[in-house]
Amino acid sequence: MTAHATLSLPTAEEAGPPSRRPAGGRRVEPVYYLFLVPTLLVFTAFVVVPALIGVFYSLTDYVGFGRWSFLGLRNYAALFTDPRMLESYGFTLGFALVTVVVAQVIALALAVALSRRIRFATTLRTVFVIPMVVSGIVVAYVFNFLFSNSLPAIATAVGFGPLEESILGNPDLAWLSIVIVSAWQTIPGALLVYTAGLTSIPNELYEASALDGASPWRQFRSVTVPLIAGFILINTILGVKGYLGVYDVIVGLTGGGPGTATSSVAMTIFSGFTGGDYAYQMANATVFLIVTALISVAQIVATRGRAVKL
Amino acid sequence: MSPGFSRPVPLSRRSFLAGSAALVALGAAGCAPASRAAGGGTGLRFYLQKQEVIAYFGELLRRFEDERPGITVVHDSTVAIAPQFVRNEPAGVGCFNDNLELARYIKRGVLGDLSDLPSAQTVRTDIDELTDQYATYPGRTSVLPYSLAAAGVIYNKKIFADHQLPVPETWTQFVDVCDELTQAGVTPIYATDRDTWTLWQGLFDYSVGSLVAPGEFFRRMKELGTDVGPDSEVSFEKDFAVPMERAKVISSYFNKDHAVRAYADGNLAFGKGQAAMYLQGPWALSQIELVDPDLEVGTFPLPVSENPDERQARVNIDLGLWIPTASQHQDEARELVEFLMRPDILNAYNADNLAYSTLIDAPPQQDERLAGLQDYVDRAAFYQGAGTFVPTSIPLGNYLQAAIRSGNFDGMLRQLDADWRRLAGRGATV
Repeated sequence: MTAHATLSLPTAEEAGPPSRRPAGGRRVEPVYYLFLVPTLLVFTAFVVVPALIGVFYSLTDYVGFGRWSFLGLRNYAALFTDPRMLESYGFTLGFALVTVVVAQVIALALAVALSRRIRFATTLRTVFVIPMVVSGIVVAYVFNFLFSNSLPAIATAVGFGPLEESILGNPDLAWLSIVIVSAWQTIPGALLVYTAGLTSIPNELYEASALDGASPWRQFRSVTVPLIAGFILINTILGVKGYLGVYDVIVGLTGGGPGTATSSVAMTIFSGFTGGDYAYQMANATVFLIVTALISVAQIVATRGRAVKL
Repeated sequence: MSPGFSRPVPLSRRSFLAGSAALVALGAAGCAPASRAAGGGTGLRFYLQKQEVIAYFGELLRRFEDERPGITVVHDSTVAIAPQFVRNEPAGVGCFNDNLELARYIKRGVLGDLSDLPSAQTVRTDIDELTDQYATYPGRTSVLPYSLAAAGVIYNKKIFADHQLPVPETWTQFVDVCDELTQAGVTPIYATDRDTWTLWQGLFDYSVGSLVAPGEFFRRMKELGTDVGPDSEVSFEKDFAVPMERAKVISSYFNKDHAVRAYADGNLAFGKGQAAMYLQGPWALSQIELVDPDLEVGTFPLPVSENPDERQARVNIDLGLWIPTASQHQDEARELVEFLMRPDILNAYNADNLAYSTLIDAPPQQDERLAGLQDYVDRAAFYQGAGTFVPTSIPLGNYLQAAIRSGNFDGMLRQLDADWRRLAGRGATV
């Protein structure tokens, strides 16, 4: 409701004289609530309530059935002293950061290139979107084959030493494979958003800046980027959120290995369900929820007001 | 309903309602047998999710229904065992791997006592005792062992014969065999690190089992709990030091690309004769058979000491029968258990599925691929793998993966001790 109010107020002020404002102040068409209710109910019943139940069980020694007792914050205390947990957080955050940069840069470059009148732009756009519709686990297994067999075979054939051993078996390089596959898989989604953003920029701006003698690079920096800042923000937030939850790609590529070098937080949480460590991993999930929410809020705050409106 | 696609308004309200009603009726009919027997008798749910034998048990259940009119059995083959207990709607009878996962249910007393069943007296006591190694509930026999799987080193008989190699009986002989194979340009052992379970199931369990009795070791470890450390009476670091020296040597004979190979790759490679030995259980035999039905293979327990008499086979209770206390039809459930425990049925199942019977005076397993282990099963010279006592919240397979690469098995053992202390601190060792 507050969100609705803050959204509607500026429009009323822009309209100037109070002619459009109803006498009663903030009267909203009831039909809006009608739209809201089903989503709210479903969201509450299937997301909020289970999450709260999970948070509650994180304070117990529950294993999913049978009797349990209340532990207070003991699971949380154990969590923060568990080096494996800290390692998985370190890996996941680092991975999300690298992947979001790689994916956004490539997606934006592709979008800009495809927005020009180059040959086969439409065909290429369609081709680039294909990775998005293939399931992550399938993509991961295909790349697993490439990394385990094809790449080492090629490297051996051309005599390139460092790649003769599969990077999936190398604890220092295995994370790269996950970055590559995750980026490959998520670039199309970002590309679509950027394409939409680019088409929203009026051509006159480019014409005007060209008359002023701006180079294409200058145009990109001073016209394109400020005007699609909102799209960059959306892509980055959604991207980081998605990468933080990375699971299927890792399962298909490295299974968290070699060793525990590529074990993400989501994987450790899931291990609690089969390992009788349910409550402990619920505590982990709760912490992870807070971390993810904080990162998203930080991103929004950091980029607030940077976008230029026409 | 077919014209609905070509013309705009052919679907009248009446036909829509009729169609919906028919669908609802169909749905109800489809659900009915699951909840209640058609003839008004008792409906029993039987839980078994072992992929390879679902059809086999399907036929057994039909036989039971024929012999016992009035009871209808529905086969539940859901992969995960937890949901039925979480919802407090467990199956009437369960048939599951007796492992650490099942132990959690035993320990919390949700499986009923079967000790008064006549068939409980027919189970070999030395096999019965195995079930107690993971967990017990005071005064109860929670599980009746149904099928025992025995595992060792699977070897290619033709490669051994071609190079005139004997089946090794001591650790030195084993190393010699590996060296000779290496010199002859044959990969001694095929390993599949990519599927980390294969590392603890084979390399880890075999290296430990004949040197340290896992059942006793983990009993002490659970007692010590958070006190486990370098100076405690038992610890991974101390007791598993020698076994892991063995494991380190064994891993030096792996195929070159072991780091990126998976279980399926291993079956294929071994089936094609690309390696002489394979540290896998009987479950791999049927897969190898698919690659080459004529391949001559045998099995022997891995020797890890200089005394041939110390060799033991790795076993696990592949299937055990249990009845949840919350099962609604206890009497019918017991009838089904008694039926399945009948010697003719139980022995036939194990003979047909590369496993060993759990009953006293059972006939031996005839399959010659497994003949090398029969004697060990008969003498109860066996152990349940050490890796099966480690809760899955400790990623043992991943640790092994790293240790094989770095050679730092000592570091891995210290890590296991530290993880054990943490798990014990929150009561999660079972």
